[in-house]
Amino acid sequence: MGSPVFVGFQRILVAFDASPHAEHALNVALSMAGDMRAKLFVLAVIRPPEPAESAEFHAVLDEGRERFESSFIPVRARAKEREIELETDVVVGHPAEQILHRADTIQASLIVLGKRSHTILHRWMLGSNSERVLKYAHCPVMIVH
Amino acid sequence: MMNTWALAALWVGLALAATLLAIWCKISTALTEIVVGTVAQLVIGAFMAQGGLLGNTQWITFLAGTGAIVLTFLAGAELDPVIFKTKWREASIIGLAGFFGPFLGCTAIAHYVLHWAIMPSWLCGVALSTTSVAVVYAVMLELGFNVTEYGKSILAACFINDLGTVIALGLIFSPFTIKTLIFVVVSIAVFVILPFLTPWFFRKYGGRVSELEAKYILFLLFAMGGLAMWAGSEAVLPAYMIGMVLAGTVGKDHSLIRRLRTLTFGLLTPFYFIRAGSFVLVPVLIAAPAVMLILFLAKSLTKAISVYPAVRAHRYEGNSGAYYTLMMSTGLTFGTISALFGLNHNIIDQKQYSWIVGTVIASAVIPTVIANSFFLPRHLLPHAITGIQSDQSAQQAAAEKA
Repeated sequence: MGSPVFVGFQRILVAFDASPHAEHALNVALSMAGDMRAKLFVLAVIRPPEPAESAEFHAVLDEGRERFESSFIPVRARAKEREIELETDVVVGHPAEQILHRADTIQASLIVLGKRSHTILHRWMLGSNSERVLKYAHCPVMIVH
Repeated sequence: MMNTWALAALWVGLALAATLLAIWCKISTALTEIVVGTVAQLVIGAFMAQGGLLGNTQWITFLAGTGAIVLTFLAGAELDPVIFKTKWREASIIGLAGFFGPFLGCTAIAHYVLHWAIMPSWLCGVALSTTSVAVVYAVMLELGFNVTEYGKSILAACFINDLGTVIALGLIFSPFTIKTLIFVVVSIAVFVILPFLTPWFFRKYGGRVSELEAKYILFLLFAMGGLAMWAGSEAVLPAYMIGMVLAGTVGKDHSLIRRLRTLTFGLLTPFYFIRAGSFVLVPVLIAAPAVMLILFLAKSLTKAISVYPAVRAHRYEGNSGAYYTLMMSTGLTFGTISALFGLNHNIIDQKQYSWIVGTVIASAVIPTVIANSFFLPRHLLPHAITGIQSDQSAQQAAAEKA
């Protein structure tokens, strides 16, 4: 009996926060999806301030949705150019938890993340999203430097 | 004595520091502004200038008061009238339970356990009866419950809860006189007319660079606030009601709401929250933390006792019921508004104010931390036994299976 044949990643989830790191991760994911004829899911997460306060929360939500939706326009064009099946979504919550939740829901075969450098204080207080995703993901995780 | 511009620079500088802190720590600006106000008052008052931040300067009081009024209006304007109409029965049961439980319970505990006089105890009950629509809505969005029937009714319940708080604040502490009657009658007339008058007025004269819409809203808020004050009530009561009655018209005008938010966040609310924080006496909180602990437990337990059964009665059990109960135990804006009202009207002293605001902050932070630590990961981590499933994810799963 031979070892199972790797057929490539069929459902790639890429987390996108419109940062240069995320852009880089998205480029890699687009390239992989094109080569492997995979379906690409781009997920943007709006993290509300805690505790959320009425007007501020809605302002953060509106601003985030608009920013991500406008960022998705060139992504859609690039995916169409390469004939990649693409799905984009904007959700609200903790980034790591939302990425894991979405990966589980769509049965992703690969999660692609951009590596962000955080200060020691930031990591101590909030933890690293990529570390959390690495720890709990059901599928392979690629962190793009 | 600092000149006006120097004092303005100090306050806006503190607001800037608070905003940076909020960005770095990913927490609400309102919370950091209160904390920055408290710390700045302590440091500046002790080491630099007598009187500290001079929070009772007339123009600061005006800007802070306007901030509270506009913030309350915006909170009311976020109501979804369609959901409210369809879910009013469930929402009323859960919302009234969420209001009356802590209101009566915290009043009783302040009076009988902490031996506060009756009026400060009532104010304590009002300040700790609040909930936060935004916190609940944020959780709904995270879990996808905002589109479910149950989620919608919980959101409407939060509005009822806060409406109870605002009405109690506006009416309990004012003597019932002919002025009160005039205020109530005029308010009802205004609330009936506004949903018809406002869209017509905006259609006819709005959409110009002169910002007629913003001036109209501010005029209404100031005029009704003035009438409320004349009657011995509180300006946030009509502001919240105006927000609710205009939710279906002005509330849907995103451009106007956005311009009002810019005005509110950029100039008004920093003055309100920093001022609210500046009156907190840190030495009092350090000297008698047990008072804050008692009030915090009073709020949390009375919320749990009153909300949890109401939530369970509407077919929501297990972790999710506990999660919503915790979420409904938060509430920062209306808690501080109530406490500041009590301090300004000499209903409570500065020590009681410090304990109440300390409790309000704790109740805004601790339930969120507990809920996120003990309940949220289990909802969202893959392959976990969640015990709940939203309509949306259920539909999604069904579609995928098909």
